Amino acid sequence: MYFPVLLYPCILGMLSLVHGIPIHQDSLKNLVKPQADTIILRIKDHNEKLKLSPKLLIGDPELYPEVPADKPIQGLGSIVDTVTTFQKVLQRLPKGHVSQIRNDLFTLLGYLKDRMISMRCTLKEPANERSLDAFLESNATHHITFGYLALDRLEQFMQKLIVNLDHLKSC
Amino acid sequence: IRYIVVMPKLKIIEIIELFYPSDGRGGVYEDLKWKALLCCELPFAQTLDDGLSEHPPVGQCQLLNATKPEFSSKSPTLSGNCLDILCWLEGERTNLICNAKSHRAAAAASLLTVRPQLVVQMNVLSDEANHAAQCAGEDTAMCSISLHGNDATVSLNISISLNGSTALSPKMQVSTHNLRRPEPPINLHYDVTTEGEVIFRWSDAQPNSDAINYEIRYASNSSLQQWEVVKVKGRSWVSLNELSSGIRYMVQVCCQSHINYWSEWSQPFYFTLDVSYIPAEIFTTPGSEVTVYAVFHNRSWSASKAVWMLNGQVKIPESQYRVIDEQVSAVTVTVDEPGFDTLMCCHQWGERFKCIIAYAKIYTEGMFNADITCQSKNSEVDTMSCEWNKSAWAQVRLLYRQYTSMCETISEMAGSEEAEENMECPSGAGDHRECTLKNLSLFSCYKIWLEVEGGRGKVRSFPVYVAPIDYVKPSPPSVLEATTLPNKTLSVSWRRPHLPVYDMQYELHFVALRGMANTQWKVIGPLLEPQAEIQLEESCVQFKVEVRCRRLNGSGYWSDWSMSYTSVVYNRKAPEMGPDFWRAIQEDPVRSVTNVTLIIKQPVLAGDPYSCVEGLVIEHQASGRAMWSNETTLAQFYSFPWRKEAHTVTVMSRNALGISTRNRNMTLLHQPKRRCVRSFSAVANSSCVYLSWSLLSDHSVPQSFVIEWLDLKKDPEQDMSLTERLQWVRVQSASRDLSLCRRFYGSEEFTLYPVFVDGEGEPVRCTATRGDPAAYILLLIIAFLSVVLFVTLLMSQNQMRKLMWKDVPNPNNCSWAKGMDFRQIDTIENLFPHSEGLTACPLLLVSESICEVEIIEKTHPVTLELEKDNEVPIYKSGDKTTTDSALLADSSEPLSLEASTAAATPETSGQSSVTYSTVLLSHQPSLLRKQPGGLWDLENHVCSDSANPRHSSSYNSVEEFSETSDQDYEASESTGVAKDLYYLEVNEEEEEEDEEEIEETQSEQENNEMVMKEDTRALLEGKNSTAVASNVSHSIPLYLPQFRTECINPP
Repeated sequence: MYFPVLLYPCILGMLSLVHGIPIHQDSLKNLVKPQADTIILRIKDHNEKLKLSPKLLIGDPELYPEVPADKPIQGLGSIVDTVTTFQKVLQRLPKGHVSQIRNDLFTLLGYLKDRMISMRCTLKEPANERSLDAFLESNATHHITFGYLALDRLEQFMQKLIVNLDHLKSC
Repeated sequence: IRYIVVMPKLKIIEIIELFYPSDGRGGVYEDLKWKALLCCELPFAQTLDDGLSEHPPVGQCQLLNATKPEFSSKSPTLSGNCLDILCWLEGERTNLICNAKSHRAAAAASLLTVRPQLVVQMNVLSDEANHAAQCAGEDTAMCSISLHGNDATVSLNISISLNGSTALSPKMQVSTHNLRRPEPPINLHYDVTTEGEVIFRWSDAQPNSDAINYEIRYASNSSLQQWEVVKVKGRSWVSLNELSSGIRYMVQVCCQSHINYWSEWSQPFYFTLDVSYIPAEIFTTPGSEVTVYAVFHNRSWSASKAVWMLNGQVKIPESQYRVIDEQVSAVTVTVDEPGFDTLMCCHQWGERFKCIIAYAKIYTEGMFNADITCQSKNSEVDTMSCEWNKSAWAQVRLLYRQYTSMCETISEMAGSEEAEENMECPSGAGDHRECTLKNLSLFSCYKIWLEVEGGRGKVRSFPVYVAPIDYVKPSPPSVLEATTLPNKTLSVSWRRPHLPVYDMQYELHFVALRGMANTQWKVIGPLLEPQAEIQLEESCVQFKVEVRCRRLNGSGYWSDWSMSYTSVVYNRKAPEMGPDFWRAIQEDPVRSVTNVTLIIKQPVLAGDPYSCVEGLVIEHQASGRAMWSNETTLAQFYSFPWRKEAHTVTVMSRNALGISTRNRNMTLLHQPKRRCVRSFSAVANSSCVYLSWSLLSDHSVPQSFVIEWLDLKKDPEQDMSLTERLQWVRVQSASRDLSLCRRFYGSEEFTLYPVFVDGEGEPVRCTATRGDPAAYILLLIIAFLSVVLFVTLLMSQNQMRKLMWKDVPNPNNCSWAKGMDFRQIDTIENLFPHSEGLTACPLLLVSESICEVEIIEKTHPVTLELEKDNEVPIYKSGDKTTTDSALLADSSEPLSLEASTAAATPETSGQSSVTYSTVLLSHQPSLLRKQPGGLWDLENHVCSDSANPRHSSSYNSVEEFSETSDQDYEASESTGVAKDLYYLEVNEEEEEEDEEEIEETQSEQENNEMVMKEDTRALLEGKNSTAVASNVSHSIPLYLPQFRTECINPP
């Protein structure tokens, strides 16, 4: 007689537990690393096709702070924040070869955001959004050098992400 | 209530007045509202009984200045019927609301019983909308009209009725533009002059803006609280100085309208000053010079260190730079080809160049070659994919235009179709290099070209005219069927794609699925029919077949290969026999499992072509369990786990028509096996192993025997599987011996398994032993042959030595050498102490010839006028020494020498030639000097003395002398004495002469007399004979055999 009454909260409890079970850390690492590697390789291919002179240094790290350069990784939140910024930057580049990198980055961002939700991390609003928009507005017309700079910094960030995959465990 | 109709004529006037709305006819604009005071004089009211009049009495209204209400209150005639009118905007240009309120209603409403009736009529006056709103009320009326988000002029008419009399207001107009703040300026941007001045510009939001004053404020992004504000009057630009480079500034502008409304601040404009290009975009034509300036806002960057890059790849030569001032650099370039190029001005930083994102863009008008190639597909939706080349820097868009005529005619009339509409690749502008156009007409002609984005349509590629039908890559053929027939034929048929409808040709390739040697695809084609019959080398073989197609006549592309199809082997009946097989049993200690691998002999393919085996059926039956079976392909191995229980396996052949009926089975038993073999022996020779065995007499005869061994030539490291190395052969039960002929190492272990119907008997093992001494015999033969060869070599060497030196005289036998001890003679000087030197008779020599010279001394007594008897002409050559017969000429005694050269002996090379020399001693011995005309190897060889009638020398090669000659040459150089040498030329041109000489010699030989001449003039003339003699001992002629000896009488 009391069986259904007892069963119901049990099922609810089980469901809540299931919902709260995070993705296994190693599985997330295994998902993120190949995606980051793919993005790195695509960027290298893209920048090699430009055949820019190897003597060129486009954009010192202290220049164009709107595009993250050498930004420290301090957990999942900072990773998502940086990847979101890069996603916005790539959206301003012309259609074509960068489109694939943009799609790859979008997928990676989706994984990371899902991870944040499952870990109940707070999703921050990106800072300096207006400044970034203005920067994109004024520089996107020079799409080759702008794209080169952005992709170069994205490649560096992906390399740093691969080394710091343990930061995916924390918000 | 009265309806007021706005007459069309009135409307026109009002629309014209729309452009001058600011005067606010009848009212004033204040605080974003329009205000007016309307006072009306109404006649006395008439009773309803006086309704004989057609028109009601009409009063008069007058607009007063709404800002001076006291004036209206002082008007005695109108004060009783005045209205306050107020209009304002609701929302963002959504609605205009006007409110009319009677003064009476406010002041003495309670005193009057009759209230005025107000009717407010509003009309929007504009081209786009013409609608009206009408409202009525007592004492107060509020009316709203929609503006649809646009500015408009609204006409306002009010009628007031009181006691049956009515008064109409004069025309009032409200301009909504003046009821709101002006829009903030837009299009904020900045320009930089070639002097480095930054001029900030903006535009008014409305084309007819009445803005008269502006304010600009700017701050660095990090200090937005500290604004710098600049006021500007009457112009929309300002020069901003004191800006720093590398800092992101935010700038905002606001404007003030003529009615003193200030706009909000504009959208912020962010900018960073780093490098500015003047101009930033250039349009030019091929071959024209273009000059671009770059302003370095960064004071640490100097124009003298500017580096200009073309397209980020090529550094422009510095000769094309100009330093305008410390911060401004200019470059002049000429672009020859139409297209898009970029210029970047960077700053030298060590070996590298620091650059920023910005670059100048050069659009060179004209047409460039983009190498557009297209490939179309004709299927449910006709598509065409085009690819092209372009500069990595250029964004392009692909445009195309469709024609319904042939491409040839279109290209001729190019340029006359400007009215046609261009279509664009769906992917739009970008850095694409390909585009797929859909829903094409296969039979149309398409003109396709690229346009560089930003090039205003003036920078484009050469167009290509493409008829998709000519570039179709068809779909691959389908419904492929292939059959391997018993008559060794592969029959293949397929279905062509329905579209395109033109005739097709086909190409077929196939590969056998069995046998490692036939893994190469064989190609058959072109085929004109959708079927093929291919002759095979064998039947019963399955093949993987693929087909492709393309247009038969005309251009087009090959389709992709079709889906692979494996041929069906034609059979009339099921196989008769199952294959023979054996097993390998392997224990897996880790998993504690015993695996049995069946080693199956492949069926004979060329057996019955009508009952080919396509696969196997393995049937199992374990003790106490049901029977089960597995189907496999024609595999060589088949493994299954064995539980060490009685397990019977039957292997059957199968094809589509059934399985074999005569099959072999095997029973695996774990229990002790019976012993039936008495003896088993194996004897091996080089190529075969002879196996023999005998059985115990009191046992039943097995069904067959299996002999098993491991193939030692297979490396167990590489062939990990034991089953790969296991070899076996089945022997009939009646046989008691077997001869296996193949390559054996001699150490194989053979195992004999008697096989009974109910299982295997106890196996017997033996190792093959070598039964023949073949290897030892071979070794002995080799040793014997080696000895024989060695002895032969020794003998031949002695023989050669004899042949070479048998005629060389012993110098100890020479008369002039009497009493000399050659072992004590160290140098030539000791041998030839005379200062006069020696006369030399150059020797005859032909390169690589063995020359034998016989010198026969005449029998009559001779007198040698040797100054010293112990002078011996010894020639050294290397470590050999011989005596030249020619040196016998040194004997001052006139000699008659018979010189003969041996004919080319077999020992001489084929290139050797034979030269005869006849040497005669001079009759003037007093003039002769002994001279080491050549140093031949002596090697204790004989030099025949004067009594010896024969003197011979033999040379086996020129090389033998070369060493000595080299040494001699060095010696000659050291002495610095030049010598006249006479060469016996050996080239072919003179061979005839040589032959003539030989003939002469021979003729002279017949006379047994020869005159040997020596030209000693070279030695005698102008030279001290002593010096010559002393030098001659060191001066050894090169390649002595090349000298021709010619003894002459001195002059």
